[in-house]
Amino acid sequence: MPAFFLKRAFQALIAIIGVMTLIFFLQRLAGDPVLLLVPENATKADIEALRASLGFDRPLSVQYLEYMGALLTFDFGRSYVQNVPVWTLIASRLPYTLMLAGGALVVAFGVGIPLGVAMAVRRGSADAKAMMGVVLAGQSMPTFWSAILMIMVFAVWLGWLPPSGARDWPSIIMPSIALGLLSMATFARVSRTAVLDELEKDYVRTGHAKGLPMIRIVMRHLLRNAAIPVVTVAALEIANLLAGAVIVETVFAWPGLGQLTVQAINARDFMLVQGVVLLGAITAIVLNLVADLLYSIIDPRIRIEGSA
Amino acid sequence: MMIVSRSMRASLAGLLLACSPIVLSQAMAKDQLVVDLVNEPSSLDPHKQWNPDSYYVYRNIFDNLVTRDDAGAIAPQIATEWKYSSDSEIVFTIRSDVKFHDGTPLTAKDVAFSVNRIIDKKFASPQLGQFNKILSAEATGEHEVTLKTDGAYPVLLAQLVKLSIVPQHVVEEKGNDGFNAAPVGSGPYKFTSWQRGVSVSLARNDDYWGEKGVFPTAEFRAVPDAATRIANLEAGASDLVVGLDADLSEQLKSSGAAKPLSVLTERIGYVKLNPNLPPFNDKRVREAVARSIDKQGIVDGLLGGVDKPLDQMATSAHFGYVEGLKGYPYDLDEAKRLIKEAGAAGKSVAFATSPTFDQRIVQAVAQMISDTGLTVNIEMTDMATYLKKAQSAPASQPSISFGRWSCACQDVDGVLFSLLHSSSAWASIADPKIDKLLEDARNTLDEKKRLEAYKTVSTYVVEEVPMVPIYQAAIIYGAAKNLEWQPTANESLFLNRMKWTD
Repeated sequence: MPAFFLKRAFQALIAIIGVMTLIFFLQRLAGDPVLLLVPENATKADIEALRASLGFDRPLSVQYLEYMGALLTFDFGRSYVQNVPVWTLIASRLPYTLMLAGGALVVAFGVGIPLGVAMAVRRGSADAKAMMGVVLAGQSMPTFWSAILMIMVFAVWLGWLPPSGARDWPSIIMPSIALGLLSMATFARVSRTAVLDELEKDYVRTGHAKGLPMIRIVMRHLLRNAAIPVVTVAALEIANLLAGAVIVETVFAWPGLGQLTVQAINARDFMLVQGVVLLGAITAIVLNLVADLLYSIIDPRIRIEGSA
Repeated sequence: MMIVSRSMRASLAGLLLACSPIVLSQAMAKDQLVVDLVNEPSSLDPHKQWNPDSYYVYRNIFDNLVTRDDAGAIAPQIATEWKYSSDSEIVFTIRSDVKFHDGTPLTAKDVAFSVNRIIDKKFASPQLGQFNKILSAEATGEHEVTLKTDGAYPVLLAQLVKLSIVPQHVVEEKGNDGFNAAPVGSGPYKFTSWQRGVSVSLARNDDYWGEKGVFPTAEFRAVPDAATRIANLEAGASDLVVGLDADLSEQLKSSGAAKPLSVLTERIGYVKLNPNLPPFNDKRVREAVARSIDKQGIVDGLLGGVDKPLDQMATSAHFGYVEGLKGYPYDLDEAKRLIKEAGAAGKSVAFATSPTFDQRIVQAVAQMISDTGLTVNIEMTDMATYLKKAQSAPASQPSISFGRWSCACQDVDGVLFSLLHSSSAWASIADPKIDKLLEDARNTLDEKKRLEAYKTVSTYVVEEVPMVPIYQAAIIYGAAKNLEWQPTANESLFLNRMKWTD
């Protein structure tokens, strides 16, 4: 077990250094943000002065070493545009991203998995086909369209929900559904396939022979076995959700990381982009690790490599 | 890590606890005005970033030495009067009855401090370019401040409209970061809270020396999507929204809850040509471009008729606008003839633009230019790359670049000097005669001399076509039916100039 963790931690470190190096230099290929910061009638001298005071006139290697050195001390730098530490900005947005990801997961899990299981168990029937239709709709409706449609119907016409913002709990309902619909479709399809595979297995037949009702076979025996592919997909989906749902956040004016990232990229707010990328990389790595560990808990036959 | 999790938990708890059942119904009297901006302010420290989402908010928190009235004329604010003691020295008399929001009186020292703070190179304000002709400010009396400029500087007052007065003691006590997080000013509204990414809340300053606002509180929210801003307005969740285009404005006209408000601004839509590169080194080809653009057609067909076609790089809101100056009229046949005569038919020209601009206009202009016989290649890049290309050495600037220009000073010095003087990064020409005229106009207080110089320069632009002015841009807001407000050319949202009718 410790050997496994050490190995994974080492791999993670390499991956993070690689990602940070890549994003650092990629962003700077196209120049710096100084021209975006100054007013239109700034002179060449004003522009050079600001460039120097922000440190963009120094060699890239010096800027790179300085940034990576600061990272070691958990200093993520300052936003050039907003003049506040990057971490302050990320920390202010992170709770909203977590809430939205949580809400979307509730929709995706809560609707997607029962739907997938039902579609598998009642394969071929008319209601399974109808459910497939719902899933397809969830997957193929573009978010920017379904989101604005929901706003028009539930906020403008019916007046049941606030149209946008993050003022109180009803404001999270529509963004969660809009964002959750996509993942819902994925979960439904994956769990349908997984359950179909399991339905062929001997233990299901044994259950039937014992005279167990279908619902009991599924709940007690089958779900656990069908969970592995779902967990794998869940790790990827959660990483996606946490990386920020740009379109949903933009349409619903939800102050999550996705919106922040897009603004940072447009403004060439390098430090802020780097901070968000770092967070995204760590999240993806940690979630994959968690998924690996979950496999062996769900199915004890799977052993963690190196822990023999 | 400790701090992180605590702040996260606090925000989570805050949002969950604020979960009282929502009441969206309107209160009897209008106790809060909700304004939807595109993004949250970059900065509430008025001496840092200068962009609309920031100054829409902070110009309500702070006063300036001078301001502009609804008609656009320079009017007293913190300064009651001013007089030049020499060409490069101006003495302002300061109001004695102004208090900052923390109760301390605003003094001549605060004014001098504010000016010196923004011109301090070490402070590195991105706005420095607007104030770098100021050499120093000094409190020369209890209610008197003297500003020294680098030679005569006629645009000084127009620039001071944007220089907010900050309290010296608060800035020094809290530091720059602390001041940005909780700004203290003397304006008609005072800062109450900033929920990052969501909104900034202001409360009315009941002790304000000037005209007080009618709304007890105001909230500025960040709503990036224009369709959502419209929905907010129609659902009654907001009272004023920014950043609408002609299509959305049409949509509002049929709405029962809201109306569009628009005003012509000092922003100029134009294309800049590069006379250093063939085929634009031939004046006939430039003239052909000027004749090929159907300005009225663009304004009526694409912009919804609220914008205004322009013949010069100035609007009637600018000092230096030349009454009656006409450019080459729209005449496609003549344009085609000129292109043929110059042997430029089929020549490729690069047309630089960025997604920030209205693509319908860019496409239309490109199409009109290519109707003359030139082959136009639109090169779209992100804003930063576009700016870099448009401000590179003259010979390496794009053949054509689209732009929307505002110096936020309503003086053509801020337009013509930057676009034409050889020392400016934007200039694609270097003409000693034009340089001299622009310098002379910048360095004298004699308005007649200035107007004369600008007339010569504007006529040169019309005849030689280093750029083609296209339209004076309107700004369109969406407002609740009950909001009464006259938007102004300088794109500011002064809350205390808004009214509410029931």
